Amino acid sequence: MTRDELNAYKLVKEAQEAQLSGVTRRHFLKESAMGLGALAMGSLLGSCGNLFSSPQTKIAYDPAHPLLPKSPPFVGKAKSVIYLHMAGAPSQLELFDFKPELMKMDGQDCPPSLLAGKQFAFITGVPKMLGPQASFAKYGQSAALVSENLPHFSTMVDDVSFLKAVKTDQFNHAPAQLLVHTGTPRLGRPSIGSWVTYGLGTENQNLPGYVVLTSGGSFPDAGKSVWGSGFLPSVYQGVQCRSEGDPVLFIKDPDGMNRDLRKASIQAINEANEQQYQEYNDPEILSRIAQYEMAYRMQISAPEVMNINDEPAYIHEMYGTQPGKACFANNVLLARKLVEKGVRYVQLFDWGWDAHGDSPSNSLNIGLKNKCRSIDKPITALLLDLKQRGLLEETLVVWGGEFGRTPMMENRNGAQNPFKGRDHHTEAFTMWMAGGGIKKGFTHGETDEIGYSAVSGKVDAFDIQATILNQLGFNHEQFTYPFQGRPFRLTDVGGKVIHEIIA
Amino acid sequence: MVSKRKLFVASVFVIAAGLILISFFSAEKQIDFNADVKPILNKKCISCHGGVKQQGGFSVLFREEALAATKSGKPAIIPGHPEESEFIKRLKSDDPEERMPYKHPALDDDEIDILSSWVKQGAKWGDHWAYLPVKATELPDVDDQWIRNDLDKFIYAKLEEHAFKPSPQADRATLLRRVSLDLIGMYPSEKLAQYYLNSKDEVKAYEVLVDSLLASSHYGERWTSMWLDIARYADTKGYESDPNRNIWAYRDWVIRAFNKDMPYNQFITEQIAGDLLPNPTDAQYIATAFSRNTPTNDEGGTNNEEFRTAAVLDRVNATWEGLMSTTFSCVQCHSHPYDPFKHDEYYKFMSYFNNTRDEDVAAEYPLLKQFNDSLTTELDKLTSWVKTVSSEQAANKVKLFLKTGQPAINSTTADELQNAVIGNNNIALYFRNNAVARLKQVDLQGIDQLIFRYNSNRPGGKMSIHIDSPNGPVLASWPLATGSAYQNVYIEFKKQTGVHDVFIRYSNPVLGKSEELVVFFDWFHFSPQLPGKGKPGYAAYKKTFNDLLNAQVPTTPVMIENPAAMQRKNHVFERGAWTSKGKEVQVGVPGSLAYAMPKNAPQNRVGLAMWLTDKRNPLVSRTMVNRLWEQLYGVGLVETLEDMGTQGMAPTHKELLDYMAYQLIYKYNWSIKKMLKELVMMATYRQDSKVSEELKEKDLFNKFYARGSRVRLSAEQIRDQCLSISGVLSQKMYGPPVMPWQPEGIWFSPYNGAKWVKSDGNDQYRRGIYTYWKRTAPYPSAIAFDGASRVACSPRRIRTNTPLQALVTLNDSAYVDMARHFVTRIQQTGEKTAALKIAKGYSMMLYKPISKNRLKIFEELYNKALLVFRKDSKSASAFMGDPQKSVKAEDAALVLVANAMLNLDEVVTKN
Repeated sequence: MTRDELNAYKLVKEAQEAQLSGVTRRHFLKESAMGLGALAMGSLLGSCGNLFSSPQTKIAYDPAHPLLPKSPPFVGKAKSVIYLHMAGAPSQLELFDFKPELMKMDGQDCPPSLLAGKQFAFITGVPKMLGPQASFAKYGQSAALVSENLPHFSTMVDDVSFLKAVKTDQFNHAPAQLLVHTGTPRLGRPSIGSWVTYGLGTENQNLPGYVVLTSGGSFPDAGKSVWGSGFLPSVYQGVQCRSEGDPVLFIKDPDGMNRDLRKASIQAINEANEQQYQEYNDPEILSRIAQYEMAYRMQISAPEVMNINDEPAYIHEMYGTQPGKACFANNVLLARKLVEKGVRYVQLFDWGWDAHGDSPSNSLNIGLKNKCRSIDKPITALLLDLKQRGLLEETLVVWGGEFGRTPMMENRNGAQNPFKGRDHHTEAFTMWMAGGGIKKGFTHGETDEIGYSAVSGKVDAFDIQATILNQLGFNHEQFTYPFQGRPFRLTDVGGKVIHEIIA
Repeated sequence: MVSKRKLFVASVFVIAAGLILISFFSAEKQIDFNADVKPILNKKCISCHGGVKQQGGFSVLFREEALAATKSGKPAIIPGHPEESEFIKRLKSDDPEERMPYKHPALDDDEIDILSSWVKQGAKWGDHWAYLPVKATELPDVDDQWIRNDLDKFIYAKLEEHAFKPSPQADRATLLRRVSLDLIGMYPSEKLAQYYLNSKDEVKAYEVLVDSLLASSHYGERWTSMWLDIARYADTKGYESDPNRNIWAYRDWVIRAFNKDMPYNQFITEQIAGDLLPNPTDAQYIATAFSRNTPTNDEGGTNNEEFRTAAVLDRVNATWEGLMSTTFSCVQCHSHPYDPFKHDEYYKFMSYFNNTRDEDVAAEYPLLKQFNDSLTTELDKLTSWVKTVSSEQAANKVKLFLKTGQPAINSTTADELQNAVIGNNNIALYFRNNAVARLKQVDLQGIDQLIFRYNSNRPGGKMSIHIDSPNGPVLASWPLATGSAYQNVYIEFKKQTGVHDVFIRYSNPVLGKSEELVVFFDWFHFSPQLPGKGKPGYAAYKKTFNDLLNAQVPTTPVMIENPAAMQRKNHVFERGAWTSKGKEVQVGVPGSLAYAMPKNAPQNRVGLAMWLTDKRNPLVSRTMVNRLWEQLYGVGLVETLEDMGTQGMAPTHKELLDYMAYQLIYKYNWSIKKMLKELVMMATYRQDSKVSEELKEKDLFNKFYARGSRVRLSAEQIRDQCLSISGVLSQKMYGPPVMPWQPEGIWFSPYNGAKWVKSDGNDQYRRGIYTYWKRTAPYPSAIAFDGASRVACSPRRIRTNTPLQALVTLNDSAYVDMARHFVTRIQQTGEKTAALKIAKGYSMMLYKPISKNRLKIFEELYNKALLVFRKDSKSASAFMGDPQKSVKAEDAALVLVANAMLNLDEVVTKN
């Protein structure tokens, strides 16, 4: 689809959408999908939480076209999101949060005040403090501190807002990742991408609206639950696009079937379904016909879009891609392509950032440096590339992990780990956001002199979710879905938009 | 002038008299709390005055709250006196600071009148219908030859009321397919199908068909699919590495229970409390795995108590949502804003589940050991011997320990560690040299033995156990045997009394100052020694005991109650957070439903089960009949299967729902099969599902049931039907889950090397219910068709219609493979021409002849494909699954047609 076609298509769909709102019982019901009672509930402004005074955002849900583009309740600066999640939790102390004081304490016993009443995933007994395992310098007009581990990215600091004081209350990977992406540390709630595609639909009906790309040799620790649709209709779950096998599950025709035959076969199915409709008069049949047409279009366009080989050599060079491999660089380039083609939410997970120090690949001096090398060029290229295409302003890019790492060296089961490493840390870590109406060259939040606690500008997962939704045009307190007799929202009962970083 | 004035006065009088008359009548009208008052309270008052918020100390959630003194010190509602009630005065006030609802539009006059009259009539509270016991419902007084049984009368009455006419009965082919998919989830035997299709007496044949389907062993498989969503059954534990869990014996228990038509009250009782029934059988223990299907978290560094608590909360929520259509989880954080449940009642209820031995340990203890027949005989001999030489109580203890390993102290709960750690904070207790660990508050009354499980391969170590302090009196000391594997050992000591802290010590001079972890503990079991020492046969029985203890047998996680000395205290969690424990509570059900608790019910899960299955329990029977209805029609009589409370959707046919609930209990004695038979015998059920223009306009979603419902098949039905049609469906039942074809790269959990290994032979063609279910990466084609991920109780699947579903049935190799087998089956019929073959295939799918129009479509497709495959034999071979093998272009073309036909709306939909 060209941009013009896309626009024309959107206009038609918007007209349809307007026509659809609240006409039939189904819309009435499906608007809240759980039915009348739930809807009544929405209108009562009632809930379990403190939502009583908030009006609820109404989403026109059309079961026949659940992914049609919809307008947000207010004009958002961002149209799409690329979320780069470093699964395993990268060390803020070796990337962005430079702590000279910590260097001075290197090798000393951890003061009891830092341990009293705290629970760590692995540290037991008294660990030793561990100074920064990388050198830092200031970059750009914003004079942001970046370590030697990210030499390319250091040139981009004037385009991003750093959040230096992110906190969480989950110190294990799976629950912490669930909290970041679904607003609860337990299984079963919809992920941000599901909420976003439920609320906004997607601009290109030939591609999934919510795409997930993984690298690093493993899924994120919480598995597919972090891109699950929870209680939202399953059409809103993330669609995993893969570097090996079918780019989208089952998108490839069976071996030996050519395009013409597939087309003929879908035509035959739909003609027979048309006859069935004549006999039964059930609109659900028309919806099925539409889904088969869409499946066909998706079969044609998805593999093409998913293929990064048609990008020019300089782009490959810029991103540092490795053709044919399931790697982060390829995924980042693909993310840009997808956003360009109108995909609403692209979620990347790169696994392998869990630098405990229990093995070389899990250490700060070897493993972490390698991981940094694998993302440094791609994340830099992504920002530059989006910028040069004029897409950065409407694309929100988020980078981060699920928690931070301790200023102490890990002593697993009471004994020092063989390599330099840090345990999981909930009190403070760094994330950054760029594009999509986020301030450029800004730092929000600060940690104490050893990077243990946040001292100002504290934010948490709910705040980040609220900010993402805000940039897309949603008030996170009003964007709810009725389930189990009450309106649920992504941010549960928390979340404040981080206005400080909004341009 | 005067006359005009008089006239004016007179008319004022008339109007005034009229007004008095009106108010007189409205005052006379009996106000119904549920119908008239509750909607106003819910809409206009409760968001500030009830549940979460109680502004001004006033709440209208419960009567006693509404009549209690507010912050002002006076009650706001004075029954019988609206004029004195602040509640009414405030509605009428002119002062915006006074007038309620505060900063919201005023109530209209009708609403104020209703509330005033209600206060005047005594401000009586009424209960929501779903919280009142099921009573006998009168049958509607209707008569029509269309009606086939009493249930139809309710439907007919409503149709008549709205001037709808019911639809005629669907044709035999449609009805055969509908009732088969509904009752057994797949197609019946060819013989049964032909019997029904060709019988002269359709009425009789239909009943025979229904009875045969209900008697089929496939019936249990189909209804188990439904139940496993409630039970959140999966073959893995969930979270990070999402490792395997062997709990399929529970799935098989459910299938057997449905097949033998276990009464629903017993079905629930065994799942909630099977372990606490007298002399529980293996099956009754396995039934309790219902509550062990909760996700558990083995991720390194997680807090076991946190995830044990999460599992307990999950059990509470599943019990309410799944069995009682009530959103109880709201009450976890605060009193229910709309329904009569209070915050602390959540924790009282949770107490039923809070005293089991499971503690989120990786080994999933407690596990039921499923002994084979000969081991069971040995166990029986041993226990009857113990009974003779000692007591029945002693025999029961021996049996419980050998069957379940309980009560045992998980080593992860040891504390006051010196030179010892709990590995990764959650795996097990590990010792270095010179280690000490405490087992807190162990009941040593009458105890003279410790059995424990450990592993150590460093010779030279000595262990000792002390009571009360690390250097306290020595109970026993012994050289620690070493070996390469975990072993169970017995340590005997003098008979003890009382409850004590027990300290375990280890030292090994050989190790010196080594920091190495050298002893790994699993569990500790303090018990009396096997009785009968010195009596003839003792040695042999001791050996039997040991053999049974060490027997390697299949196991299933089950519920086992804590013994008295290990009971946990139960607390309210402030704002629902498990870390902020509030006041202590005792076990109990919510006050508003306590009337259904039998007087003799014990204060444990047996009592809970008695309450659930008591005839007065208003929710359990209604929930189940509503669920059965939903399974047949795609939508429940109460659409919100998860919520029958005041915020759920109102039932479309409340009287019918109640009538069925009453029948289930009183007429059918909780028999699901009998209830289902009555449902599918209804004329309502048998109607044609064609949508007339009138119905399309007036009742598109068929809430009046003036026609049959059209429902997209469930994930399981789509697979099972396709297997049926293609003739490859394996008839094998039960056993470990299987792995049918799945694309590469679906499983990719960290720290988990488990692989999807495609099952061989017939095992790849088992019914969907047997497919291995991994929580964090479920079977993709099932998920595409809205299968539940089973991480929590899912009372209802929301059906969607997406292109990804089309891609599954078009392209998934599993479905292409089935199309090939389908063609093999067609070829075996010996039909000669392509047209005849297509027609045959169509009737195999749908039991009816293909229409000319449809045949033409598929003939054309066939010819197109034939042309391509004739020209390109390589593609034909590839399409048939083996590029090396030469194939007939005709076969390939037919497979292509079969693949398309299996995608038809009429095939993936229950017409």
